[in-house]
Amino acid sequence: MSSTTTEPMSPREPAPSNSSMSSRSGTQHLPGPTFLRVLNSEVIKFRSLLSTLILLASTAVVMVGFGALSAWGTGQFADAATRDPQAAARMAAQGGDLAVSVPTSGIAFAQLILGSLGVLLMSSEFTTGMARSTFAAVPRRLPAFAAKLVVVMVTSFVVTAVSTWVAGLVAVPILDNYGLQLDPGSSQSVKLLLVNSVYVAAVAAIGMALGTLIRNSAGGIMSLVGIFFVAPIAFQLIPGDFFKEARKYLPGNTVDPLTATEHVPDTLEAWEAALVLGAWVVVPLLLAAVLLKRRDV
Amino acid sequence: MIEVNGLTKVYGAKTAVAGVSFTVRAGQVTGFLGPNGAGKSTTMRMIMGLDRPTSGSVTVNGLPYVRHRAPLREVGALLDAKAVHTSRSAYNHLLAMAATHSIPKSRVHEVIEMTGLEAVARKKAGGFSLGMGQRLGIAAALLGDPQTLILDEPVNGLDPEGVVWVRNLVRYLAAQGRTVFLSSHLMSEMAQTADHLIVIGRGRVIADAPIQDIITGKSQARTKVRTDEPVRLNQLLAGRGASVAHEEQDLLEVTGLDPRTIARTAMDNQIIVYELTPLVASLEEAYMELTKDDVEYHSLPAAEATK
Repeated sequence: MSSTTTEPMSPREPAPSNSSMSSRSGTQHLPGPTFLRVLNSEVIKFRSLLSTLILLASTAVVMVGFGALSAWGTGQFADAATRDPQAAARMAAQGGDLAVSVPTSGIAFAQLILGSLGVLLMSSEFTTGMARSTFAAVPRRLPAFAAKLVVVMVTSFVVTAVSTWVAGLVAVPILDNYGLQLDPGSSQSVKLLLVNSVYVAAVAAIGMALGTLIRNSAGGIMSLVGIFFVAPIAFQLIPGDFFKEARKYLPGNTVDPLTATEHVPDTLEAWEAALVLGAWVVVPLLLAAVLLKRRDV
Repeated sequence: MIEVNGLTKVYGAKTAVAGVSFTVRAGQVTGFLGPNGAGKSTTMRMIMGLDRPTSGSVTVNGLPYVRHRAPLREVGALLDAKAVHTSRSAYNHLLAMAATHSIPKSRVHEVIEMTGLEAVARKKAGGFSLGMGQRLGIAAALLGDPQTLILDEPVNGLDPEGVVWVRNLVRYLAAQGRTVFLSSHLMSEMAQTADHLIVIGRGRVIADAPIQDIITGKSQARTKVRTDEPVRLNQLLAGRGASVAHEEQDLLEVTGLDPRTIARTAMDNQIIVYELTPLVASLEEAYMELTKDDVEYHSLPAAEATK
């Protein structure tokens, strides 16, 4: 067994631990996959993929970039309004404080990127075959699913919140140039930051559910785009009251009611919007969890 | 020990595994043999709880795989050399697997060293050759120092040195009292590695016996005989109940008589014999014989129906 050619690779097992070798319940006392260990494993998996880190960085860049761009545009708009009564009227129609929503103006792109990340983290398990390793290590499957969900949602929330905050800090001096005030610490600013960050985390969770259900990266991302970008436009174009009403229940239309200072006609009440968004997260996730448990890997 | 009981897997209209039952015992290497599509990989995935059996059950060391508290420490499996995220490094892959069971980093380094992956451990697994992928899969299987190993085609794509290494490794692990269950297409490799064989075809168990029984049981001993008088010897041996094939000018292949009887017959009749070689049956021949039987068995009802 130890000829010279095979010697460097010959099996070098550690000294067998006295108890684990032949007793039937030998491994019962050894550490197994508890939730915290599986969470740790999912964190290692998350941070060891370059593509994931690139998507997170892109989100930050897009959020801060759009915040700056939007600050400049809003300033130009306000500037025009001081000279043009028509523009002033339009600005008044928009509901007064434009500056406060500047830091979250890139949110549509953040939700697309982080929603896609949610899809990819799950679909790539199946497309690469990694799922076999994952679910061999955690054969009950749902702890691994829950751990990945925690990683995806927490990361999405934190990245969105931090980049919104930074976008605010960048926007303040730009708006200041045009005589507009933005206080990133005001209650409305904080509310916008928190609601939007929770919303993006919810989109990432929906993405993960889609990735689990469809098991295919392109299909999952297309479904996500369908729900968040195509459906709102399509529902607006299709005539009839049904689609006009249904449009309010799309997940993308729950953010405005949640952040509005007062109720806007033809939108959901804040509590309704919270329930609708919650249902959009919980129902696909439950479906995904049930199917993940039952289907072959 | 792996106990498979009436395991069946149906995919739509296709039955991949049809009521398979067998036991894989500890302390020996059990080979799993069968043509492509016979249901070997499906059976192995069902043992690992990855595929849900349509019916039947399977336990590993007394419990279904899913119910073990520390599954990676109980069973190590190489089911697919590509069960790795292509963009993750081999080291991080093993580290993430290890984390689920609090297996220390030192063990990760140990299995990397054992499988000869040191040089590529920090590279993306997607760029690995088939052989390197196999080594990574074996490293992952060994991570939990498991009592039971399930290896699907472990030598597929390995270089000759790797093939010898896998053979030595599994024999060493079995000698330690562990359960080793491996499939392979390479008959010669299986003959050198396995103690016991389970042969399946069309989703059914065709044979389940020690490897020697399979080799000798199905094929009769043959002897190569070279002589100056092949025709006369042929008649004499045939008269004693042997079946003889006249292969070449001076060459006979005798089935059904042992070499001693052949030599005595030749001597008694003053025939010169200048080669007398017992032919050792190979596993491959035994395997072909077995799977041929299986096919005949299945086609018999149709043959009867045409009478």
